[in-house]
Amino acid sequence: MTALGWHLSEKEWTEWLRVLLESGIAVIAPVLGTTGTSEFQRVGSAEEAAAPPPSRTAMSPKKFLFPQSEVLFSFDFSGESATLSQPEMERGRQLLVGLRPCDAAGLRRLDEVFLSEPEDPTYSERRQRTVIVSQACTQAGQSCFCTAVGGSPSGREGADLALTKLEGSGDLLLEPVTAGGEELAAPASASWRPITAEDRAQAARQAEAVTSAITREPLPPNAPPILASSFDSPAWAEVADGCIGCGICAYACPSCSCFDITDSGGAACGSRCRSWDSCAFSTFTRHASGHNPRADQPSRYRQRVMHKFSYFPAEHGGEMMCVGCGRCIDLCPAGVDIHHAVLALASGATLRVQARSGVKA
Amino acid sequence: MSATATLLPDLARITGARDETYDVRTLQIELVERDRAESFTWRPGQFAMISVFGFGEAALTITNPPDEEGFIEITFREMGKLTSALRRLSTGQIVGVRGPFGNSFPLDEWGGRDIVFVGGGIGMAALHAPLAAVLRERDRFGEVTVVVGAKSASDLVYRGEFDEWQRAGGARLIRAVDPGGEVDGWDGEVGLLPDVFERLGLSGAETVVVVCGPPVMLDFMLKATSRLGTPPARVITTLENRMKCGLGYCGHCSVGRFMVCRDGPVISGEALATLPKEL
Repeated sequence: MTALGWHLSEKEWTEWLRVLLESGIAVIAPVLGTTGTSEFQRVGSAEEAAAPPPSRTAMSPKKFLFPQSEVLFSFDFSGESATLSQPEMERGRQLLVGLRPCDAAGLRRLDEVFLSEPEDPTYSERRQRTVIVSQACTQAGQSCFCTAVGGSPSGREGADLALTKLEGSGDLLLEPVTAGGEELAAPASASWRPITAEDRAQAARQAEAVTSAITREPLPPNAPPILASSFDSPAWAEVADGCIGCGICAYACPSCSCFDITDSGGAACGSRCRSWDSCAFSTFTRHASGHNPRADQPSRYRQRVMHKFSYFPAEHGGEMMCVGCGRCIDLCPAGVDIHHAVLALASGATLRVQARSGVKA
Repeated sequence: MSATATLLPDLARITGARDETYDVRTLQIELVERDRAESFTWRPGQFAMISVFGFGEAALTITNPPDEEGFIEITFREMGKLTSALRRLSTGQIVGVRGPFGNSFPLDEWGGRDIVFVGGGIGMAALHAPLAAVLRERDRFGEVTVVVGAKSASDLVYRGEFDEWQRAGGARLIRAVDPGGEVDGWDGEVGLLPDVFERLGLSGAETVVVVCGPPVMLDFMLKATSRLGTPPARVITTLENRMKCGLGYCGHCSVGRFMVCRDGPVISGEALATLPKEL
């Protein structure tokens, strides 16, 4: 039987994190850095993890499941016999806390990619030893658009446990979403109070307030098929105008899963790495001959948008490969705005002014 | 189909090498571990990821037919860093092999039909395995024609096998070079492959046309076959996109929803028409 959830004081929540830390679980949480932005980091104390900064982290937490760069194997042909050796993987459990619901949903999209047949062994191994605690948003950013892509500031997709911080008291509601989440909480939960109807009402009011603070429009329900027929639209050049192909959109994205494989070292010994890649790069599709199926930047940006809003949904029951976190919008040095791009394409208009409204002065 | 989604290659040893042209080379490769070699089975049209350690991996079609157990062959043109490094390797040296990956040519559907293989430049490498498979079971098929084209006479690959292909009613061979690519005494065709193909009227409504070459050639071949009345469902090609993983994850080879490594590389002209124009 699934527990309905618990009402914890901040002290109880911190105490539980301390117990988990002491049991050897790696706890990863948003930590405020010296530059004013926060990033997901492995924390040393429960206090650090217990009260994450309210601002969204600059980068998504995906590197804890899909590292930015990882050694696949090393090779050594210098001795008598040629050998390939794989690095030792960490084996301990990891707890990701303080994920906005969009980030938890983003990790679920990675699951769709890496856990489909044939399963990716290193991703799968990391996923199995990871427990994800999402935290309902208490504020909406200007670039947030989770509600436009089927998400919600209090959504639970991808989470094992869902946390809601109650305004006023600062108490927390912890609700199990998966058996894995419930199992982790089970030893401690005997001493926690159950969630009351009043708690739920407050949580719902808070969620409603954040949802209504999201100003970005929903996408038309038929956006994927409209996009599918918009491949040759002249609007692509306009919505991608200014894109310099830096790839920050893909690096910051919680759901972007493309990777490169490269060798380093020499022919005698070295290693092979897998690293994040981006369809924004000209080399992503360029053949050795120099021929490039996506020869210009608009065609590369089109691939990004089409993959997320047309190709992926067509194979995943309408689910989009974008969770509306808005990082790519905030970080783009050229003001390219994926939400406006999809709206523009899906409305059949070019909307030049609207598509460029994200440009910072 | 590979059993696991591994990015870890099997070690393999180069057991033979021959130059097809001044920049095209064929290597024979054997997996080092015997049980891995024995379980490595493939179908014509499938490809392998070949590692040149220190340089990376490249997707290369397996050019020998599957009944040649114990080794695979690959034919490649020296083009970039990896293929240059691969060309410098010699017999006895170690490479890596992952695969086989992808789908294969639908040879079962070709029984009784006339088949025309059309290979432009290094594209001929991808046709070598299905051609060899067809010639092994020659009686199952109608007329077999091989059209080998290249930019010049010295770029024609598999010249050493031309006689063998034509032997004992095997295949009709047509050689073609681009205008300006002929040498003194050239007795083959001159012209771009799709033009030569159309001029000679090499296909009809029931013919299977198997084609591989540069993307622009494919485009013109589809037009030429269409004018000759061959339905696009019977024009079969194999795509050669940049690839990294071969497993459908890395994103490099996608053409719309089509992942060349997972859904291809073999595809009909009919299916190709449903994909975005992004080849």
